[in-house]
Amino acid sequence: MADCQETLKELERFLDSELPKDRSEQILSHLKICSDCQGAFEFHAELRAAIRTKAQKDELPEGFLDRLKGCFGDEILGQDTNA
Amino acid sequence: MTTTEARETFSEDAMQYAPQLFSTALRMTRNRSDAEDLVQETFIKAWRAFDSYQQGTNLRAWLFRIMTNTYINKYNAQLRKPLETELDEVEELFLFKRLGAFDQSKINQSAEDQMLELFTDEEVKNAIEELPDGFRIPLLMSDVEGFSYKEIAEILDVPIGTVMSRLHRGRKAMQKMLYDYAKDRGLVNESLLEPQE
Repeated sequence: MADCQETLKELERFLDSELPKDRSEQILSHLKICSDCQGAFEFHAELRAAIRTKAQKDELPEGFLDRLKGCFGDEILGQDTNA
Repeated sequence: MTTTEARETFSEDAMQYAPQLFSTALRMTRNRSDAEDLVQETFIKAWRAFDSYQQGTNLRAWLFRIMTNTYINKYNAQLRKPLETELDEVEELFLFKRLGAFDQSKINQSAEDQMLELFTDEEVKNAIEELPDGFRIPLLMSDVEGFSYKEIAEILDVPIGTVMSRLHRGRKAMQKMLYDYAKDRGLVNESLLEPQE
């Protein structure tokens, strides 16, 4: 079982899914009995989700995908198709 | 699979990442036309380097790596440029200590919806774009694109410890900026910060 200080120290690695399984479980069992830490973890998880949603909302320029398809052609490879 | 077939599959696979690449390119260059050019250059380089791409490996990470390198070289990005002092001295849990109570204050709304309403799309984009490159790129790769520390270390060609430290400091700086935006919008209201009865 981890205490509050240890738990909060692992907040980012936990939310980044970078903790070993046994360490994650220790954190989870602390969160079950500590509403303060649980509140902090939930806040940051929601913040992360909001950032992800908002930072990906960009309208593509008109015709962008069609223009991009032009990047994949023989002429891009410098092959002379008339040769 | 013939080379032609393999190339066809490759271009189709690459195209599905175009919207994500464009968003990241936009956060990097802060300009729609430069972002479009950056994604185009990325695809052209990827197409030319196809022979060095190993099928079955992580195409998405490979494309982001090419794009990041292209951005760094083209714009002479300074990865070692420090954060402004005030942004690098933000306390732990900065935003939670100030807005955690506000986030819980509206009873008829899910916590997720409250967080989505706390900041506008533009504020989140601006906060990311204000960060120096050395903090912005790891944050984009992690918080927005969901790459692992190891993948980000490979994309940026830096040790994993550097990725973690950049993410930690970049996130704190971003929280400070988001808080300042909320304050400017009058969202930080003392009465809302009081605990609920």
